[in-house]
Amino acid sequence: MIDYIIPNFIVLDLGSALQVVLLGFIGGVLSGFIGSGGAFFMTPGMMNLGISGVVAVGSNISHKFGKAMMGSKKHGELGNVDKRLGAFLILTSFAGIRLAVWINSMLFSGGGGGSHGEGGGDAASNLYISLVFVCILSLVAISMLRDALKSGDENGSGPSMKIANFLANIHLPPYVHFPVADVRVSLWVLMLVGLATGYLAGTIGVGGFIGVPAMIYVFGVPTAVAAGTELYLAMFMGAFGALNYAYQGYVDIRLMMLLYLGSLVGIYIGTYGTKVVKEVVIRIVTGSIILLCVVSRGVAIPIYLRQLHLISYDPAWDNYFNLGSKIMLFAAGISGCLLILVNVVKAYRQRRQIQSQIFQAPAEA
Amino acid sequence: MQIICISRGTMSGGKQLAEGLAKKLLYQCLSREDLIEAAIREGIQVGKIETALMKPGLFTERLALEREHYIAFTTAYLCDKVKDGPLVYHGRTGHLLLPGVNHVLRVRVVADWDYRIKAAMKQLNVDRVKAQRYLEAVDEDRRRWAHNLYGVSGDEAGQYDIVINLEQLSVDNAVAALTTISQLPDFQMTPASRRVMDNLNLGARVRLALARDERTGRTGFKVRADNGGVTVTYLPQDSKAAQFIQPVTAGVAGIKELQATMAATNLLWIQEEFKPQSDSFHQVVEIATKWNAAVELVRFESGDAVADSAEKSADPAPVEAAPRAYDGGIEDDVEEAAEGKAGGLAETLEELARLGRSGGGHQVAGGHEHLLKAVDRTAPYTLVVVGDVFLDKSHAVRTRLNRELRSYLSDHIRAPVVGVEDLKSQYLFTKKDALSALLYLGLTAIIYYLVFTHQEPLLNFFVGEEWKTKLMAAVGVFVCTPIVAFLYGNVAKSFLKLIKME
Repeated sequence: MIDYIIPNFIVLDLGSALQVVLLGFIGGVLSGFIGSGGAFFMTPGMMNLGISGVVAVGSNISHKFGKAMMGSKKHGELGNVDKRLGAFLILTSFAGIRLAVWINSMLFSGGGGGSHGEGGGDAASNLYISLVFVCILSLVAISMLRDALKSGDENGSGPSMKIANFLANIHLPPYVHFPVADVRVSLWVLMLVGLATGYLAGTIGVGGFIGVPAMIYVFGVPTAVAAGTELYLAMFMGAFGALNYAYQGYVDIRLMMLLYLGSLVGIYIGTYGTKVVKEVVIRIVTGSIILLCVVSRGVAIPIYLRQLHLISYDPAWDNYFNLGSKIMLFAAGISGCLLILVNVVKAYRQRRQIQSQIFQAPAEA
Repeated sequence: MQIICISRGTMSGGKQLAEGLAKKLLYQCLSREDLIEAAIREGIQVGKIETALMKPGLFTERLALEREHYIAFTTAYLCDKVKDGPLVYHGRTGHLLLPGVNHVLRVRVVADWDYRIKAAMKQLNVDRVKAQRYLEAVDEDRRRWAHNLYGVSGDEAGQYDIVINLEQLSVDNAVAALTTISQLPDFQMTPASRRVMDNLNLGARVRLALARDERTGRTGFKVRADNGGVTVTYLPQDSKAAQFIQPVTAGVAGIKELQATMAATNLLWIQEEFKPQSDSFHQVVEIATKWNAAVELVRFESGDAVADSAEKSADPAPVEAAPRAYDGGIEDDVEEAAEGKAGGLAETLEELARLGRSGGGHQVAGGHEHLLKAVDRTAPYTLVVVGDVFLDKSHAVRTRLNRELRSYLSDHIRAPVVGVEDLKSQYLFTKKDALSALLYLGLTAIIYYLVFTHQEPLLNFFVGEEWKTKLMAAVGVFVCTPIVAFLYGNVAKSFLKLIKME
């Protein structure tokens, strides 16, 4: 049984605090490696620790605010941020976030007045978050794996462009020109993408999975500018999401701080990993990790269905479902993280070895 | 041999102009279609590259390699054609095919929008709206092609020596005007411009040899050539293929020295005098080693010195440093050896090669724009370092000109541009870093201590019922989050800087 220090917030002992730091570290490594926020790992991980879905999302989006602020500064220096494009997306993404916070708050406070456990709004909110998570990230993981396997093929032509081509071919004036990204995009398509990005960022904290591919494939923005602009957008979405969730009382500042302890170190290591691992391997590892995170969240869904009396089984099984989900999530995260770390250490050692050979050579001569 | 590159828009009349000019001057005439045909015969999937360039999201590693292969092929093909005699080339972005070669006369042919629509309606047999849509789409594709293949916008008039509008001017009169312009000394080959072309040709032939061999064909090598010295850089994950660089390129004529450097990225260092014993050299090498970067050197001689030499030689075109008289193709080994060592470039490159960090080097003289032309804007530079330039000026003037140069480069190159004096403070771990890291660590520890020893009252504050309390909680989170991220972020950054793993 989970202990709550006060409504919404759990008691944090040393063990659970360290687990949150570990979640932050793995999320950070994956985030640096994949180029997304890492919430796809951290949000379900926190839910597995007994933290309410809405608090996990609220704390995560606040964490995203500070992290994106640090990252977008660096991207800005490299000229990878199209602020004009960011500004257009920000406006509609705020509407998406408001919608997400409203749905989450309604579900959480309804059906039992925000109580935790049996038949409460907590279960309804957790179920809703888990279902959105499973649906969206399954699509992302499957398309990512399919593209990775295709690009490894001799005649592979890259990602499927059916949806992107369809959207790009619709003539929907007015069009807006973005000088840094050097693209011209329909205002309506921009609004749609902003709304979807904001909604997903507000619901499960992973707006980047929609925002970045949309910018690359639909708008035609160069990859580096898409990543930089998304980070810039994430900073504003994070700030707006943090304000909204904090106003509702769903931000656990302790969790946010513990996540930072791991993630801000992990993100550098993950980024280093992208320089030493082949692109196709990055995509396969990313797709596999996301898919395992999806399965892990799927395993936890029966718990919420039972709590809402939609299915019935012995409540003692909840522990097994939760444990299974937790093990799968950590196994996915840790194995992905280890794979990246092994490559990073290997490259680091190789670099040192080459250096020492170079410096030894003239001495021996 | 003279080269005239005519960049034409769809339905602008550029093809007729190019053919007329070639006929009048008795030059060879080569169209983009001929070039594409040759590239297809070479086995390059030009159609796939075109589609991918129009829609950048499609770019896979394989297509990026095809693009490299295509650029190398077109450069080598054009250089070989020129050996047979002077040439008029016409096609999309022709003016970008031989970057930095100053005797290329770059012409842009434009036509009135209405004229183009009428031409499209007639040729395609479509109505006005469809013709307009077609032209808009083609222009957009052309713009993306130039942007994605060469990193520039094809519409800027400043990229051309002359822009011709065929609305009023007839094709015959335009041919006559261009015939006269092409005879001007500004567009005749000089030893310097020939050398730039030879460098491009050698680099392209080496890249082509690597692309054609199945042992190295799937690797993204970057090749730079300078006076027979060839530098090939490759990514750490491609080190297996790198062992075949030497045997694969052994048959390429003109290679005097070959360097292969493993690098994840590139660092560009611009300076007038290089000294391998200097502090700045050690700092650049330390940063390059930390980032696994290849260091590309550009010895830059400022405009005034060149203007003097240009006046003397009556050649207003920008020239490479230490220009020499045309020698009819007979090279003097002694002179070349002395020239190569000017400004410590050869010596520094040698030392960089010994350290496994050489990304090649070359000399440029002239104004800011000549320097920019010499920089490969499609190369992924992580950092641009501007060292001591304008050495003939007083300290104050040198400082101002240096600042202006940095600002100019920042506007045109997508990478941070820093002065050599800022390297240590910005990219290396110094005592100042240690002190600030300790300060940030202390402040972070205090915040964490306060939060985790006052959990209950703090959390009670964050779940207040009153709207005022709720608002204060929201503001509290909004303010605290960036502060914690900033303080702890700097601690993490300093730690990674210390272990050289940024």
